[in-house]
Amino acid sequence: MDKYKRLTLASCVFACLSASITNAETLRFSIGEDPESLYNVATNSLTANSVINTYLLERLVYFDAEGQAQPWLAESWEVSADQKTLTFQLREGITFHDGTPFNAAAVVYHFDAIRDPNNASPQAAKLGPLDTVEALSENSVQFTFSDPYAPFFNMLAGEAGGINSPSAVQAGGAGYGRSPVGTGPFKFESWLPGSEISLVRNDDYHGQVRADAMNQGAPHAERVVLSVISEAGVAQAALEAGELTGAGLQADTIGQFVDHPDFTTVIDETATNLVFLEFNSAKAPWDNPEMRRAIGYAIDRKAAAAAAWSGYASVALSPLAVGIPGHDAEIGVSYGTPYDPGKAAALLDELGWVDSNGDGIREKDGQAAEFLIKSYAGFTHITRTLQVIQANLDDIGIKAELETADWGAFYPSLLEDDWDMDLMRWTSNDAGILTELFKSPGHRNKLAPNPAIDDLLTKCDTTLDPVIRFECVANAQKALLKDMTIVPILTSWDVFATQANVKDYTIDYLGYLLPGDVRIEE
Amino acid sequence: MEVLMGSYIIRRLLMMIPIIFGILLITFLIKALIPTDAVTALFSGTVTEDKAAEAIAQIRAKYDLDKPWYQQFVIYVGNVLQGDLGESIRTRQPVMDEIGYRYVNTLILTAAALFIAILVGLVTGIISAYYKDTWLDVTSMSVGMMGISMPAFFFGFVLIFIFSVQLRWLPVIGRGNFESLILPAVTLGFIEAAALSRITRSSMLDVLSREYIRAARAKGLSETFILFKHALPNALLSILTIIGLQIGNLLGGAFIIEVIFGWHGIGELAVKAIQWRDFTITQAVILISAGTYVLINLVVDVLYTWVDPRVRYD
Repeated sequence: MDKYKRLTLASCVFACLSASITNAETLRFSIGEDPESLYNVATNSLTANSVINTYLLERLVYFDAEGQAQPWLAESWEVSADQKTLTFQLREGITFHDGTPFNAAAVVYHFDAIRDPNNASPQAAKLGPLDTVEALSENSVQFTFSDPYAPFFNMLAGEAGGINSPSAVQAGGAGYGRSPVGTGPFKFESWLPGSEISLVRNDDYHGQVRADAMNQGAPHAERVVLSVISEAGVAQAALEAGELTGAGLQADTIGQFVDHPDFTTVIDETATNLVFLEFNSAKAPWDNPEMRRAIGYAIDRKAAAAAAWSGYASVALSPLAVGIPGHDAEIGVSYGTPYDPGKAAALLDELGWVDSNGDGIREKDGQAAEFLIKSYAGFTHITRTLQVIQANLDDIGIKAELETADWGAFYPSLLEDDWDMDLMRWTSNDAGILTELFKSPGHRNKLAPNPAIDDLLTKCDTTLDPVIRFECVANAQKALLKDMTIVPILTSWDVFATQANVKDYTIDYLGYLLPGDVRIEE
Repeated sequence: MEVLMGSYIIRRLLMMIPIIFGILLITFLIKALIPTDAVTALFSGTVTEDKAAEAIAQIRAKYDLDKPWYQQFVIYVGNVLQGDLGESIRTRQPVMDEIGYRYVNTLILTAAALFIAILVGLVTGIISAYYKDTWLDVTSMSVGMMGISMPAFFFGFVLIFIFSVQLRWLPVIGRGNFESLILPAVTLGFIEAAALSRITRSSMLDVLSREYIRAARAKGLSETFILFKHALPNALLSILTIIGLQIGNLLGGAFIIEVIFGWHGIGELAVKAIQWRDFTITQAVILISAGTYVLINLVVDVLYTWVDPRVRYD
């Protein structure tokens, strides 16, 4: 801005005026990498998802603040009595950016594309037991499943649910991912590979139909420029230099922006990630739930949140992340294992793990309590959490050895038998994650069949009525805590900072920005 | 003479083939040791990894990732000989499309940095030598020492903090224009200038103590004439050798600097390709960088004959 001020003084007031207007109407954000494609059938990259689904494409449903599916491009829907058939009535009169109509055929085309083996779509598994997708009429579409599949609503509202213009997909061929066409509030304008993606306001926007959006018309901003900045430190420097409207923050530097008069911080505490300890329950002593519970009491989650995330994280006691619909904090409090090293030590004593030779490490039947914790490398927050865990276990007489490796080496290695615990972090928007991870045999084949958990999880996944499903998910959390299948540790918050004059920067339940709402105040 | 030079150049160009072949072989060996490939990276962190096994296998087959490394190597070399660098596994775009303009960007950055390095390095080196042991000499050598000791990425962040965040003169976000070129070029150039300045100083000092300089002074020639006509050309040979090596440093140093400043060159691309295990891109970048390096060294060797007519290649 300084430069423009000097320009005004020197010569023309008019030039300055137009320059500042352009600035006010352009939202500038950063993205961490150049997406490989902006076609949601071809990629499951989080960056691509944030660009596609925030600005360009719309979904049939969105999740409201309570995590309930609400109508968006779909006007209403019906679930059949056997819960295997879903029929959606679509909104009429909506057109894609290329002028073609949004209709049932477009929805069918999208889901067929995900299932087409020629597309090798990384989204295909998210469709669950989907059998057929049919257009019943111009504006009515029917999904039929071989079994009821509750996580499907999450799929519809999430990354793979955005509907593309079929004619644009066909015309674009392999290059479609470089010029996506949807029905969203912004249109794709240009892409300078590796550098920036430019979007322009959809002036023919049908009008926002999400009930949670403040601005029901076309977006306030005229243009969105997304710059590729792979170094988080550089993105923050760009924010400080006024080159970005807003940016996501790293835990280490949040402090510099909170309470700073030039910036507004937006903290999303209902994030959907969970950091947790898992056990090799296929072998002793981890086949005993009480042993796992002892570990649960030993972990100082607050210390981990402070060390790994500068305190910008919630302590987690429930096995379902706070931001996932169905999360029940009460259950975590009643059935979880809050930090209590005394209780942990007492439990270990009871189980026969005592330090008989006075070396500070407990033993049982001649075996010293020395265990291996595995995790993945390359993330400071994981390393720091591991260190806190190691110190916590040391406090109760357990010696933990830490081993980290690249994800690609670490994750398959959990199928082996040479480990005791692993530190994991999963992000998901749906309670179906519990099934994916913890229904026997579990995602790493270590969980013995446990009808109390398995049957519940099956029930949750096949119950489409949200109220009954949440009840079921609550019971599943209870069952998992009784079994202490995992030790939940924390959920890190998503923290953003914007320039102080940016208003109505709102993040929805699934973490998407509502871009039409964002305004820059002069 | 001309014929000898021509055959020398051809010989050197032919030598590029085994060099590049060797480099590629090493790249493939390293690749064979890495447990993950691009497909794992594409699907990593999703629970669906196992369920998508079919899709994963399909992509692997398409890019020959299911074959042993030596077979992949043979296929790759065969394709390269036919001028086909393949397509990026991640973006599924032809490698040439991904690399072409970025290569030009890297050359621009390297050239700009080299220009700064030569300008600053030669000027400060000559001044230091001429005013040996004065405050000018001490100052420029101390600043040079700082330049040599400081890691480029740190110096880059310092420049961003001063000129972009505090003064707001230059942009943080690289947009490929002249304004965005200044900071990365200065970062890279300054560090190489420091090394060049020290070499220039010592070889100038060496030359300035020679008999023929004393003779020139005795003849009453002007100091400027002595410095630029007698001393510098003789000092230039060792300076040129250093510059040749520095171009390699610049190309390599550009990798980190490009990432920091968002300068979209092959370095930035390579760093990302390595993170993504996108080996078709990595291999192409290695191929092109190695080729460039060998070619530049050839140019430097040929330049010797022009700087010092006593140098002959036969």
